[in-house]
Amino acid sequence: MGVLFERHHRPLFDFLYRMTGDRGAAEDLVQDVFVRMLRYRSTYRDEGKFETWMFRIARNVRTDHFRKHGAAVYVPEEDMDWATDAPGPAHLLERARDMARLKRALQALREDRRELIVMVRYQGMTHEQVGAVLGVDAGTVKVRFHRALKELRDAFTRVPEGD
Amino acid sequence: MQCSDLGPEMLEYLAGTLPDDRLAEIRAHLAQCQACRDEVDATAELWNELGAAPAPRPESARMRARFDAALQGYIDGQAESRVVSLAAPRHLAIRWQPWVQLSGAAALLVIGIGLGRIVPASPAPQGTSEIALLREELRDTRQMVTLSLLQQQSASERLKGVTTSGQLEQPSAQVVSALLDTLRHDPNVNVRLASVDALRRFNAREAVRKGVVEALPQQESPLVQIAMVDFILEAAGPDARGVLQRLAEDMMLNQAVRARAELGLKQVGL
Repeated sequence: MGVLFERHHRPLFDFLYRMTGDRGAAEDLVQDVFVRMLRYRSTYRDEGKFETWMFRIARNVRTDHFRKHGAAVYVPEEDMDWATDAPGPAHLLERARDMARLKRALQALREDRRELIVMVRYQGMTHEQVGAVLGVDAGTVKVRFHRALKELRDAFTRVPEGD
Repeated sequence: MQCSDLGPEMLEYLAGTLPDDRLAEIRAHLAQCQACRDEVDATAELWNELGAAPAPRPESARMRARFDAALQGYIDGQAESRVVSLAAPRHLAIRWQPWVQLSGAAALLVIGIGLGRIVPASPAPQGTSEIALLREELRDTRQMVTLSLLQQQSASERLKGVTTSGQLEQPSAQVVSALLDTLRHDPNVNVRLASVDALRRFNAREAVRKGVVEALPQQESPLVQIAMVDFILEAAGPDARGVLQRLAEDMMLNQAVRARAELGLKQVGL
């Protein structure tokens, strides 16, 4: 189990951090995922891909978290500080602000849309792998992902530049 | 090639993972379509920006220590429960004869009755609240399972979701709303039929009755429509007259559905 932890805790943390926008919550949820893997290990079938099973558990853990704490739009303070106080030339400051806006736009997306972007862009999952986690075919993932990207672009333009 | 075809393939185009013939088609289209070129540029820019957004690194050492502690706790818990469930009965069975067990049980019964009379009734012990919490957790899990089943690609899984909703003691508004949604939009007739049955439990709710009435004209299957007419009749009784009258006179509806509505009107005394 320790080997599994070493191998998978980083991608899980990345997924849960980008879904919750909260570092502390993401660390807690990673623990929860591993405890559930331990408790429900009998539900894992050898023919299935381990990561698919693991991300299904991670999604359930995140759903429980949102149900208990709400899926509030949340941007960590450290990011905002970074956006407003970054030293250096003007273009670097502007870029930092753009990054912060992009994060806010991502957090403002509907949960299922954000999840698609996180899985494809940050977890590097193929449409087929995402489809296996979500229980839909790859074609559906493609279409939904395209829609999610468009919504992200729209959300980005709506986030005020001064923030 | 249409502009709308490009969207879902945009990333594969940018990543260069499309087959040559498809790549050539898209290139030819882009050569003559400024709007799609702009779309590709904007998507590429967004893709790159997303890649540049960092996530903090986890505190791996701290997390590993917490995980090891949790793992050890789990292993200890498993070992303890094994000791309780296996070792204790075997140990007792060797020494205690049946007559000893019987006498012991009788003595405990007498003590129990005596104590029950002496000790006044106390508030619910902590165990009760823990059981309540466990029940709540179980109910939440079942609701979650139901909702997730209703969203599955496979019709049999969705059917299972509708059936599971019937086993929930107190389904949340979210589950009821998901059932109504299934009735309105599920492509499978059997799933829609099952959802009408499942909604019967909630026919006292105004929103559910209204939802079913509103969903009726959208239905294409006469089978489902007849089930919905029955639902309305059962739910609203004489108050269903207006709706039934409209259905009976709606020439766009299937004849069998209109006939059922007419019969319903007779049943409510019109």
